[in-house]
Amino acid sequence: MDAVYSIIPAGVLSQMFVGLSRTTILFIVASGLTLILGVLRIPNVAHGSLYMIGAFTAFTVTKLFGGGSAGFWMALIIAPLAVALISLIAERGMFQFLYEREHLMLLLLTFAFSLVFGDLVKLVWGGEYKSVPVPHIFQGFVPLFGGLPFPRYNLFLLIAGPVVAILLWLLTNKTKMGKIARAAAVDREMVGAVGINVSRVFASVFVIGCYLAGLGGVLVAPTVSVTLGMDHNLIIEAFLIVIMGGLGNIWGALLGALIFGLTQSLGILIWPKFGIIFPYLAVVVVLLFRPTGLLKSTW
Amino acid sequence: MKKTVFLSTSLVFFVGLLMVCPLAYAQNAIKVGIVDTYTGPATTFTMDVLDGFKLAVNEINAKGGVLGKKIEYATRDEKFKPDIGLAMAKELVLKEKVDILMGTINSATALAISDFAKKEKLPFFVTFSKSEKIIGEKGHQYVFNMNENTAMVGKAAAVALAKKPYAKYWIAGDDYEYGHAIADSLWNHLKKMKPQIQKVGESWWKVGEADFTPYITQILAAKPDFIIVATGGAGMVNFQKAAKATGLSQKIPFYQHTAIELSVLKPQEQNAPEGVFGTANYFFYYPDTPSNRAFVDEYKKAYNREPRIGALSGYMTARFIAEGYKKAGKIDKEALIKALEGMSLDSPVGPMAIRGCDHQLELPMYFGVTKKDPKYNFFVAGDIQVIQAKDYMPTCDEVIKSRK
Repeated sequence: MDAVYSIIPAGVLSQMFVGLSRTTILFIVASGLTLILGVLRIPNVAHGSLYMIGAFTAFTVTKLFGGGSAGFWMALIIAPLAVALISLIAERGMFQFLYEREHLMLLLLTFAFSLVFGDLVKLVWGGEYKSVPVPHIFQGFVPLFGGLPFPRYNLFLLIAGPVVAILLWLLTNKTKMGKIARAAAVDREMVGAVGINVSRVFASVFVIGCYLAGLGGVLVAPTVSVTLGMDHNLIIEAFLIVIMGGLGNIWGALLGALIFGLTQSLGILIWPKFGIIFPYLAVVVVLLFRPTGLLKSTW
Repeated sequence: MKKTVFLSTSLVFFVGLLMVCPLAYAQNAIKVGIVDTYTGPATTFTMDVLDGFKLAVNEINAKGGVLGKKIEYATRDEKFKPDIGLAMAKELVLKEKVDILMGTINSATALAISDFAKKEKLPFFVTFSKSEKIIGEKGHQYVFNMNENTAMVGKAAAVALAKKPYAKYWIAGDDYEYGHAIADSLWNHLKKMKPQIQKVGESWWKVGEADFTPYITQILAAKPDFIIVATGGAGMVNFQKAAKATGLSQKIPFYQHTAIELSVLKPQEQNAPEGVFGTANYFFYYPDTPSNRAFVDEYKKAYNREPRIGALSGYMTARFIAEGYKKAGKIDKEALIKALEGMSLDSPVGPMAIRGCDHQLELPMYFGVTKKDPKYNFFVAGDIQVIQAKDYMPTCDEVIKSRK
């Protein structure tokens, strides 16, 4: 390890890995957003709300199963599915009739949804802060990189991120549905003309995208207070990541999330007083030189 | 088509408006207009203010009201937006003809309404906003501050921290007015009391920051003796969770205003970090006096939860309004203000007075540390040290000087 530290100091390395674990959550949420944006052309502002609902559902499920580790693992399975179910209802009941409308209409509709979801969450869960405990095996920290403490839960996130990325890659590249979805993103009418039920494909993509928002919400829950308003903060970051990476490009979302997470954590190391500005500075720089995003946009 | 849509939406809107607004007040009532945030994250605190206020009003009205009049109130949701808040305050005064205004958790709204109250010559009771400008820089004779403000918090924490041996401080916080105001006040007072201390660095994050881990790992590497953490709202819990996960709470002691408060500790149950320093103005379990127990019992019976600081603030506001009118002997705004200046009332936590010179409520501040308690399934404040109002409030001279 000493050889590594001579190139990169332990402090920087540790900070990088902290940034990477943040990247995981940003990537999971942003990939769902970009998937929907790429295939369905819906700028889903309610994506953040679904992330919030995922976190709140995780709280309830954890409580139902005794509030311990078992509760969290159940939440990891159930909560994203619950969010997927909500999105399925929204898609079948509302969005499927509106795909032909212009983007502004869809933007307004999803914004309306975000307001409705926000109030629903307040009605169901109330205004109090909620907290999901970290599962037992991930409590505390491990001394990593020159003895600097690294939270165990963040290690778990570091594993979860690549797993989701690989599953998404398999889904979009190796399954029939993924291929149809990619084709539909390019030319919807043509896909319909060869006899494929585009509506069903769209519904599936929408539900998968929202499932990812819910998954992000569950994964973030043990590290933060689950509260109203957590949607607003995230949706802005998620959109910036999606724009930075190239609209509709999942690998763009990964790249954007990496840039966002790493500039934030390393920025704090360089200049803690103004660490806040580095990720946004990165967005500005990227858009100055690549106005359509780093990778190929599907739009 | 468009016309009918417009017509029907406006119709729905007006019907909705009618349902929201109580149409007629009983005659001969004292009317209080409450503008506060009742949607979004701020509801964690604002519902307490309203419920505490309601509790006192019900008590007062059950005893026959004030000078033969009942106290009535109307609430408006400002949605955490100053322009909406001001419009609603105007509507309450001009249309509902309220005698008194009260609210809000949003400092910008509180300042806007305060300015309006000054022009209308109407008493305005600030119940949860922590801005020191309300009675300081922008203070005037119609505004009353019924809770602590950032200048007071900073000084109270400085009084307690000055007795601790720490020398190298790190300052961190939410990058907005509340965070900076608390940190500045604390640091300036502490530096005055202990000139030998030094600041080794600062970090400021955006309001609503979800992940504090990168900030904490960076501070850990800098190895300060003590960290002043000026966060508010949901950031309180977020920071404590990250402090526990990174082991910060075992390595470097830190202070947060309200770190020891129920709203922060209850959601974390048994998983809160131990040994975090904090200040707060109210606990339902301390002081363990008959009057506090009675207040807690009443509140629990009515709302099925423990009262927190907002509840005390709302409760005392209603009591001061009632007693103020009684002392004045008539329903008159100017007479009420005169009567309230210097008035002292018994509260659940002992006597409380409204200071004459600046209309600041004199309330005790508690400094303590988070710890386990077998009696509760969440952490509570331990080693509580009471800081009396006179020891941590800015002097009258200082406040009046800041108004110029």
